[in-house]
Amino acid sequence: MSDVDTAAEVMGIPADLVSRSAAARAQASGTTTDEVLAAWGGGGSVASKAREEPEAATPEEPDEAAAPAPAESREPAEQEPLEMPTAPAGAPATPPPTSAPVSSAPPVLVGAYDNPWAVVVGALGLFVAVVLLALVGPSIPVDTPGARSSEIVLSESGTAGRDVYASLGCASCHTQMIRPLIADVGVGPVTLNDTNQILGNRRYGPDLADIGSRTTATEIESIVSGSGGHQAHSLSPEDMSSLIAYLLESAAANVSQE
Amino acid sequence: MTTGQSSDIRALLGGGAGEDRLATAHILVGALYLVIGGALALFALLSLRFPEQSPTSYGQVDLMASTALMLGFGVLTMSGGIYYVLPRLTGARLAHARLAGLGLVATAGLTALGVISIPLGLGDGGSPLGLAWWLDAPIALALVVPLVVTLGTVRNREEKRSYVTVWFILGGVVWLPLLYASSTLGSLPFVNSLSAAFSGVFLTAGFVNMWLLVIGFGLFYYTVVKELDVPLASRQLAVVGLWSLGFASVWWGVSQLIFGPGPDWLDGVAAALGLAFPIGAIANAANYSLTLEGSWRQLPENPGLSSGVIGSYLAVVVAGLASFASFPSIGAAASLTAYWDGIEYAALLGIGPLLAAGFVFPALPRLIGRAVPNLDRVRTFNRFTVIGSGGVLVSLVAAGLYSGYSWIGGSNGAAYVDVGEGWAQGGGSAVQTLILLAVGFGVISVLAQFAYAGVVFGTVTTGKTVPQEVLVARGADDE
Repeated sequence: MSDVDTAAEVMGIPADLVSRSAAARAQASGTTTDEVLAAWGGGGSVASKAREEPEAATPEEPDEAAAPAPAESREPAEQEPLEMPTAPAGAPATPPPTSAPVSSAPPVLVGAYDNPWAVVVGALGLFVAVVLLALVGPSIPVDTPGARSSEIVLSESGTAGRDVYASLGCASCHTQMIRPLIADVGVGPVTLNDTNQILGNRRYGPDLADIGSRTTATEIESIVSGSGGHQAHSLSPEDMSSLIAYLLESAAANVSQE
Repeated sequence: MTTGQSSDIRALLGGGAGEDRLATAHILVGALYLVIGGALALFALLSLRFPEQSPTSYGQVDLMASTALMLGFGVLTMSGGIYYVLPRLTGARLAHARLAGLGLVATAGLTALGVISIPLGLGDGGSPLGLAWWLDAPIALALVVPLVVTLGTVRNREEKRSYVTVWFILGGVVWLPLLYASSTLGSLPFVNSLSAAFSGVFLTAGFVNMWLLVIGFGLFYYTVVKELDVPLASRQLAVVGLWSLGFASVWWGVSQLIFGPGPDWLDGVAAALGLAFPIGAIANAANYSLTLEGSWRQLPENPGLSSGVIGSYLAVVVAGLASFASFPSIGAAASLTAYWDGIEYAALLGIGPLLAAGFVFPALPRLIGRAVPNLDRVRTFNRFTVIGSGGVLVSLVAAGLYSGYSWIGGSNGAAYVDVGEGWAQGGGSAVQTLILLAVGFGVISVLAQFAYAGVVFGTVTTGKTVPQEVLVARGADDE
């Protein structure tokens, strides 16, 4: 039986892993692989150069002398929770010892807050507050007496066209939202809060809230097909017809009055 | 959990525990999606600059890129980090490890399905992901997996004291599925358009701040202390960093729609809370800097540390720009423009990968027993990410401000109203040039993403054998 097999049997770990790890261990400790394997197989230890030379310490073996002392103003160092593993399930009861002692370097990965469930409750509470303020609140239509609705009257074809508009990602480049700002003057009537158009949040192309009042079906089809610097979309006749219907119906004159 | 002499030898043995292999798998798949998402983001910029030559619309490519980056890269990579760190900080084995594996398969598969479904016209077109309801529902379920795994592991913890990273992880895993679910509910067909619009920006801002940054910052708190072996400078700053990210930063979504058809009070609240955007990023970046005091010289030789520190500083810059645009006077011009696309690009392809690298590069050798093979490639990743994503950020922010103020000034008013002539054309050569510049920086950014993936996959396949942490803990999951 080879040293690798012996060590593997003693450690209860596959031979290939033992072999690879022994090579790494030998490199880290300045010994030979055979010596490491012999030590592991016989339950002995390997003299670790890393322990003698702080600068050669591995990340798993922070050297006490090399580690800076924590400043007084910093958090007090306490017991390190888990940086070094214990024996794995199925490991031998008395695994081979090693010359490298367990690190007693300043433990740093510790905390004083010992109730993580409070964080969970706090996170839930904060989320509810955020949703109410940043999502639900802004989305509730303001019921102002006498306010004109921005909902346009959509035909069946127009409703289908709105789905085509959505699936093509038109809202990534076009808004259907006219704001009470100088920048939007001349585009059309200001959009109120209960519109049934697709608002969008980017305006790389022109706003289309009132597009139906300033264009024709032929122009829309031409643009959607790729003229005027627009990307070409290959739509079925039905989808093209629906999309045109939706855009033509998107006009201030087609807004329902309350 | 206890330590003993035997642990030293076992710490050097290869193979790793099941949860470590799980973490590695998440990181690998996340790296793959980063490359895919980065390439799609570049394609989106090209579609914006050369729309007539693009085989598909900018709107669709942009949604595809967001899906790949947010779900594929952001969720999976950060989940991998969580599964790496949790057992080490709690002293318990990862709970529901099989469920975590299923979560990986489900998230990766659903993300691929989502990316493919968008150009087929099967999506709903809503920002930022545009996925159909039949994908939203299972994705929301898959996003619950990190929450279940985390809560189960924390419940079984041996270590009764919680390091700050655990707080960040708990916050992030609670918020992620709730964000997705609430955003999905807000964009259902029977909900009004206003809600759908706010749901989109809410999800984007929430994902960036309440998941990507929260988990990224939290994991880097582990890395910086672990790598330097020095105590954390301040738990109080970490507390501020966590909760302010959770509350204030999400308002950068609302700020994009100020002066829109929402209630009047919204503009004032968004402006006021916009001032608080940078607090979380500044608190965390300052905490890292204070912790690094006296150890700055180690940064060039520690690729993970340098990536994380750069990422935290970039987060401060991006949060500052978002805060700037939340002022009503600036927001009137910047909202609806490329300004916010620049911010989102820098968040998803700048801060995200840098913070991810902050824990992935130091973690991989511990997870798989192989060293990062090429530190130069790591430096290339850092450099190209800053230049690439930073360049896209500056270009798009400038394009947004230019076009926004052109609208206000009326200099391109006629072209802007004309059918088919958006601001990009109406803004003239300046905006066109800026977008072209963004394309150029986007190419550099893609090179950075390839460098990241090269480091990750190179470490797994060709990395030199090094000592490895073998994670073994009590309270093994019996699954």
